[in-house]
Amino acid sequence: MSEEVGYTVASDSDTTREETSPEIAIGIDIGTCQCSLAVWNGSQVDLIRNTRNQKLMKSYVTFRNESPSPVGGVSNQLSHEYEMLSGASIFNMKRLIGRLDTDPIVSQASKTLPFLIQTLGVGVKPFIAALVNNMWRSTTPEEVVAIYLVEMKALAEARLKRPVRDVVLTVPAAFSRLQLTRIARSCAMAGLHVLRLMPEPAAVALLYAQQQLPKNMGDSGSERVGLIFNMGAGYCDVAIIATAGGVSQMKALAGSSIGGEDLLQNMMHWLVPEMDSLFSGRGLDEIKSMGILRVATQDAIHKLSFQPTVEIDIDLGNGTKICRVVNVEEFEEINKGVFEKCGSLIQQCLHDSKVANVDYIDDVILVGGCTNIPKLKNIVTGICNKSEVYSGINPMEAAVRGAALEGALASGVNDSFGSLDLLTIQVNAHRLGIRADGNGFVPIIDRNTTLPARREMVFTTAHENQTEALIVVYEEGDDEKLLLLGYFKVVGIPAAPRGVPEISVCMDIDASNMLRVMAGVVMPGSGTRNPVVPLMEVRMPTADDGHGLCAEALSRSFGSTLDLVTLHNKL
Amino acid sequence: MGEEDRTPLSSFIRKTLAQSLSLQLLEETTSQLQNQPHFSTACSFNTNEPPRVFKTPKTNFTRNSGFSSLGSVEEISSCCWNCKTRRPFLICESCGSVQPVDHSVDYFRIFGLDRRFDIEDGSLEGMYKNWQKKLHPDLVHTKSKEEREYAAEQSARVIDAYTTLRKPLSRAIYLMRLEGVEVDEEQTVSEPELLGEIMEIREAVDEATDSQALNKIQSQMEEKLRHWCNSFANAFGSKSFDEALKSIQRMTYYHRVNEEIVKKL
Repeated sequence: MSEEVGYTVASDSDTTREETSPEIAIGIDIGTCQCSLAVWNGSQVDLIRNTRNQKLMKSYVTFRNESPSPVGGVSNQLSHEYEMLSGASIFNMKRLIGRLDTDPIVSQASKTLPFLIQTLGVGVKPFIAALVNNMWRSTTPEEVVAIYLVEMKALAEARLKRPVRDVVLTVPAAFSRLQLTRIARSCAMAGLHVLRLMPEPAAVALLYAQQQLPKNMGDSGSERVGLIFNMGAGYCDVAIIATAGGVSQMKALAGSSIGGEDLLQNMMHWLVPEMDSLFSGRGLDEIKSMGILRVATQDAIHKLSFQPTVEIDIDLGNGTKICRVVNVEEFEEINKGVFEKCGSLIQQCLHDSKVANVDYIDDVILVGGCTNIPKLKNIVTGICNKSEVYSGINPMEAAVRGAALEGALASGVNDSFGSLDLLTIQVNAHRLGIRADGNGFVPIIDRNTTLPARREMVFTTAHENQTEALIVVYEEGDDEKLLLLGYFKVVGIPAAPRGVPEISVCMDIDASNMLRVMAGVVMPGSGTRNPVVPLMEVRMPTADDGHGLCAEALSRSFGSTLDLVTLHNKL
Repeated sequence: MGEEDRTPLSSFIRKTLAQSLSLQLLEETTSQLQNQPHFSTACSFNTNEPPRVFKTPKTNFTRNSGFSSLGSVEEISSCCWNCKTRRPFLICESCGSVQPVDHSVDYFRIFGLDRRFDIEDGSLEGMYKNWQKKLHPDLVHTKSKEEREYAAEQSARVIDAYTTLRKPLSRAIYLMRLEGVEVDEEQTVSEPELLGEIMEIREAVDEATDSQALNKIQSQMEEKLRHWCNSFANAFGSKSFDEALKSIQRMTYYHRVNEEIVKKL
């Protein structure tokens, strides 16, 4: 994200760069539930194991009084899973980071997670706290991720026996630009320099492209079309890629904030319909009950991937006992909504990719923990009309391996065998546009536009002699919800009848995914096509905390006085 | 659609760059002519300068006033900035250096195609990926800052070229533009028959309740699109641009109907 800005190292010649061998950036997959680290070792990708020989490490940070405090899942050993659910540990950070308290994901989390998430529902950051010695101690999602990243950095440095600074992180396709800036902030707090924040499917596509490399150099190989379905605990991504000769062109990318956590929450609510009110006090007993319910439900869902029924027999300790047998059909019925959403995400992606029909798909690539669930596997293979899934990659390691490949590429590593002769040409997952035509959203960069991208649209004034216009920039998220990225005024528009001044708004996304919005004013008929005032160039996002309130404040303060109207109306 | 480079703001940005380039060149040339005596000294002063100053006249030309006659416009467009090989393409064939964007190279040439409407299926994809492998900003980290900027621009242009040529309608509009005929996509229909037909189709789409009915209209539209693609190819081939424009207008309408159907499906 923050490519080289502020890092104009003294050497402007390229020779110094070649003399010292470049630091190879490591790949990090921060998962909602599990995290992993990998690095290019000179000939292939290695996963870095922690002291307990784990490649996949649980994502949580425990706050406590004694030092060292706090500790995360990289170095800590849980005596039992309940320890993570005592209120002292913060987890599911990837679901919470960069979200407002008006977000349904946050309010659902506030009801089902054992630590404290307070939402006021007004469009500000939620308040998050961990229970330390019977006292709620405040923290933030960014801080928790940063603490975790510090542990990962230390682990990587110990294993590689060198300082680690440059990293490539994978992120869900559904991540908004505000979430990306929060993750980048966490990395900065942890002393890491982010070379790329890469959508998980883009990383998987890189790995896939490497596996499809032709055996003989020079042979470009035939094109293969792959559908990547990636679902973990927090997010679901779908991408269609066309791969040939090491290059994967993304045809379409779609993402949603649904995942295993939703399956879990639905199931818990089904088992204990009154759980929200039951646990709302958040006393020690309630936290303990929540932990028992969570562990039992998690376990049941896991078992239902391999067996037709499962028995749940727990005592929540407050007079509520649950003893029942759940079968796969019930599980699928409870989570019907989640599965339908997955199906529609795949359909949307297929449609956007303009792949004429599913028979053109050569490989169905499943990634993420949730793809173990038979129902999900069936949905994906059913839509794609395939009897088998691609077997070449490990669903739990694909993203981090791809991130490590990108780390090597971004560090300028060359491989003499050509196995780093790789590229994923990405598309953007979200529509970007501005407020215009009344209180409407006018997209300027459509979703699935190949990156880097630059698009421009011409607007005009909505009022007579309007001399200023407010450019309000939005990103479209899940379910067409709009997220305010920033705003600025264009001033000095010459007084003219409405509809005359041409206000050009240009959006530019560069290779490091930086978004810039440019605006300029041109007066037609003035004999010159030159802008009448200096152009504006604004890096986005400029809005941050409390931006939900901000959007309302803007419309309250300015109403429609600074409105814009699309000039070239498409039919 | 890949038409950005003619829209006002982007074109302004590019125009100013081009203008400042040529203006400064002009100034340099005149000042050189006026300061003849300085010429040789300046020339010897600058022999150690890396050749890349040619491509960034904005920053370097002003500093090295009295720069030698090497910096003629001719030289810039037809020589590799690095090794001076004549007629480099997007990338110099002899030294592999990425070149600044040369707008006289049209989209068809990038893909090694003739300026014709009919292009073979799959003739773009392979070449597109090959170019991206050499130009994509993700893969040029080890090159100099200037060269990385060229690569970013070239890569973006190859993407534009690819998206423009891939779809028949945008390809047709682009071909016309190369012939100096601008197509106004917002142009209103004046022919009564076409107007009537469009109204009829619109109604049919509005009234269609199930996907079967919509699919039927869609296949009709695709049939019509094919027909008008052919008639465009013929008209363009025989340089009857009025006929070609007529075909484009119809392609535009049928294409929009198709988009509406897709939205409804």
